[in-house]
Amino acid sequence: MTRKELFHIAQNWFDRQGWKPFAFQKESWTAFLQGKHGLLNAPTGSGKTYALWFPIVLNYIKNNPDYKTKHKKGLKAIWITPLRALSQEIKQSAERITKDLDTQMTVGIRTGDTSTKERSRQKTAMPDLLITTPESLQLLLSSKGYDKVFKDCSAIVVDEWHELLGTKRGVQMELGLSRLKTICPDLRIWGISATIGNLEQAREVLLGPTSEALQNSVLVKAKLNKKITVKSIIPKQMETFPWRGHLGLHLLEDAVPIINNSKTTLLFTNTRSQCEIWFQKILEKHPEYAGELAMHHGSVNKETRIWVEQAIRNESLKAVVCTSSLDLGVDFAPVETVVQIGGPKGVARFLQRAGRSGHRPGKESIIHFLPTHAMELIEASAMQQAVKKEAVEDRIPYLNSYDVLLQYLTTLAVSDGFYPHEIYTEIKHTFCYQGITEDEWQWLLNFLVMGSQSLKTYDEYQKVEVGTDGKFKVNNRGIAMRHRFQIGTIVGDAVVAVRYQKGGYIGSIEEYFISKLTPGDVFTFAGRNLEFIRIKGMQAHVRNSNKRTNKVPSWMGGRLSFSAQMSELLRQELYTAEWEPAKQSDEIRSLAPMFAKQREESIVPKPDEFLIETFKTRDGYHHIFYPFEGRAVHEAMSSLLSYRISLLSPITCSLAFNDYGFEMLSDKPIDIQQVLDNDLFSTDYMLSDLQKSLNSNEMARRKFRDIAVISGMVFTGYPDKGIKMKHLQSSSQLLFDVFKDFEPDNLLYQQAFTETFEHQLEEGRLRMALERIAEQEIVWKQCKNPTPFSFPLITDRLREKLSNEKLADRIKRMTKILMK
Amino acid sequence: MPHSIQIKNQEFQLHPTGGIFWVEKSMLLISDVHLGKVAHFRKFGAAVPQKAIHKNFILLDEIVNAFQPFQICFLGDLFHSSLNKEWQLFENWVQKTPTEIILVAGNHDIIATEKFEALTIPLFQELSIDGFLLTHHPEERENFFNFCGHIHPAIQMQGFGRQRLKLPCFFKKRHQLILPAFGEFTGTFVLEPTKEDEVFAIVEDEVVKV
Repeated sequence: MTRKELFHIAQNWFDRQGWKPFAFQKESWTAFLQGKHGLLNAPTGSGKTYALWFPIVLNYIKNNPDYKTKHKKGLKAIWITPLRALSQEIKQSAERITKDLDTQMTVGIRTGDTSTKERSRQKTAMPDLLITTPESLQLLLSSKGYDKVFKDCSAIVVDEWHELLGTKRGVQMELGLSRLKTICPDLRIWGISATIGNLEQAREVLLGPTSEALQNSVLVKAKLNKKITVKSIIPKQMETFPWRGHLGLHLLEDAVPIINNSKTTLLFTNTRSQCEIWFQKILEKHPEYAGELAMHHGSVNKETRIWVEQAIRNESLKAVVCTSSLDLGVDFAPVETVVQIGGPKGVARFLQRAGRSGHRPGKESIIHFLPTHAMELIEASAMQQAVKKEAVEDRIPYLNSYDVLLQYLTTLAVSDGFYPHEIYTEIKHTFCYQGITEDEWQWLLNFLVMGSQSLKTYDEYQKVEVGTDGKFKVNNRGIAMRHRFQIGTIVGDAVVAVRYQKGGYIGSIEEYFISKLTPGDVFTFAGRNLEFIRIKGMQAHVRNSNKRTNKVPSWMGGRLSFSAQMSELLRQELYTAEWEPAKQSDEIRSLAPMFAKQREESIVPKPDEFLIETFKTRDGYHHIFYPFEGRAVHEAMSSLLSYRISLLSPITCSLAFNDYGFEMLSDKPIDIQQVLDNDLFSTDYMLSDLQKSLNSNEMARRKFRDIAVISGMVFTGYPDKGIKMKHLQSSSQLLFDVFKDFEPDNLLYQQAFTETFEHQLEEGRLRMALERIAEQEIVWKQCKNPTPFSFPLITDRLREKLSNEKLADRIKRMTKILMK
Repeated sequence: MPHSIQIKNQEFQLHPTGGIFWVEKSMLLISDVHLGKVAHFRKFGAAVPQKAIHKNFILLDEIVNAFQPFQICFLGDLFHSSLNKEWQLFENWVQKTPTEIILVAGNHDIIATEKFEALTIPLFQELSIDGFLLTHHPEERENFFNFCGHIHPAIQMQGFGRQRLKLPCFFKKRHQLILPAFGEFTGTFVLEPTKEDEVFAIVEDEVVKV
């Protein structure tokens, strides 16, 4: 069949729906059918699934002209989604096409939720189109004879690639693709990404920087001109509006008219606990919403989530309180209004959420920004500028993640085994491992086989073995089994299923929260008040309770840092505080009372001023610096600065940072004059000082946790199975210390430092920030009380610790002993 | 530097490696060494550095040299797992150490009694000597002062400027003293002292009463 005829089939289908294909959809079809690879830049709900499912099916029709009567079995295409919750949705859109076009193609899902029965059925007969997650794809690579399963695969589509890029799951994906390129002769690789700053690089990472695939690829952009309007909710009484906080409940009543005035409203919160609290509070204050208000977050069970999604489509809900769980996938035409509660931590995410409303092309998207504390109003004002300028963040891909590579090599060794020279060539062409050296490769192989770099006679290390033909293989069944369980644990903490005693599944919670409850405690979860009964295996048993409670499970929300561009916008907004009111934005004008308060003891810095504030509270001595450069730069700068200060005299302090500045809290005052006299903000020796500073704090240690788990050094136990493997559990903390003492040249130990360095602390931006500070006038204010600017910082409990004092000296100063 | 305390008119020296020397009896008490843990992990495919194996023996030598005891009594969990090649290293160590060794068994000690007897190490469920009761699990018995392990006690301290520290410690109650875990590569459990408890924290190479 010619391409024209194939297009005709697609066109007909669109006609029957009363739709018209978009230019970007046709563009993708053409490129795909020409055998090209590509990256499709299209937002959620734009019809991106039809842009790629269609050519996949058309390609099958082309190769099998008698497709209506005969069915050629075997896997034809894989669709990767980072969220298994989305798989159902993707399956439906695929089935619509395969059925309507009278093909006999089958569509299947394989994720962590798939039953063992279904999985073994798939083993004998793979569906034609498979929807799966990056982890489940790795698991497929760990089963025997996987190459036969994939050999006729014509396409792999990586959906929401921007979510994976910049994470280790993205690296896992790169490795999986490098293998598929070899074993599938007729493979097309496609990615779908929302708008991010580094789209071109995203394509390069997906296809491999030096690959033929990249040469033969396209970047398709969906140009859906969409107008986005940001409206800030400005507190009527700024005098009583809090200086800190993250819930935003003060403005609950201001959100109500917004909900009333639109058909369906989505209220985005940043954490699941915030989501639970808002849901409860709205119902408490406005019981009339009962039945019309729902909640949606990642820990709510699947059925409820699907029900909520369906209800949005049916327009039977007035409002949904949700988290990033509704950021991705799922098209909701009826959503009219979006409210963002608290800073969205990123322009890309903010745009994506805004795009949730007014879904139809050409329609205006309105997003209301509800600040949770006063400083966020500056952010709100800057965000409007950012939306205008599309100042979207980059997602920085990982380089040389040895941990993921070790996991991958073990995966291959578990299935059919591998020959190193073959795999080395493959991974050398990935973005992540393009710079890996032969020595490092040999190190990794030694590590897999001997658990070290030299063989010791008494050693019983056992993992991968080398056969006589040079094939690397795992022969021990226990090791293979443990490895398969470990593949899924690339992200997240241990989670516990929450169930009623009779068995009804409610959702899952981090084990950390459950471990703090005692039987009889009542907590709020999934919008219900539940009494904790007991923990059994990996399940928490609960019953409904009428007791009121304020215990809400907390989850760590990802903390994205402002991009350089966004930070610049934020500073520009702040500087307008000095302007005459008529020229200011509404947000800045409304902040006048706060600025006045700030000026009582301190200043609102002007463009040529760098502000430092110091004061004492009963917590200790606070030293606050305001570079306004975004979280990541502040983290790096605080680490650098405290290291340099500690060289002048030993100190112990804890560090807190946000997008505006950072704080050093200590039990003794730091001599700021000395800091200034010694020019501690200098860029000289910046790199080596920063490196040294990492040794005295815990950032690298924290990074090591994931590395230890991913590389298989720490076994996390069997999720959901409740099998205890206690004799093999150790904490990554202990392991970190052992490496520090005995094997500091271990690549995995080293990786913890490079990762902190490259991923957490953006070195390039730090240098520019320091250069900027060098040109500013430093204004040091010794205050009597905390200032409004300092409030969000000094109340932050998540802190980085640093010390280079002798332990014994510190203990002598510690007055009281406290547990918990 | 060891820290000396008196219990029932006997002198006990708390050593920063985590052992206690009973001066009058010339007996060294050591708990929860967890030998074999590193080899056990390696056997199951987790590549913990091999050099960590030797650290335990270096520490044992250090404390034995410091006190030159007549007897060493291990308060359980001497060996972490079933037999592995670290046992040979232990055999070597026993043979070159000119001291009597006895073991009060703990929950991890699953190696056959004969294996210990071959090294002339007698095994006990508990030992009572002059009003002192030596066990692995903490015990309360009238008229006895109990030395035990098992818990791997640690103490958490808080100071001005939101500072926090967690340190392994000797945890002394009225009739009981819980030893810290001697072994490298073992974890800790934070205990909360009441008014009458005494805590001796291990601070680098010092034992400090807090």
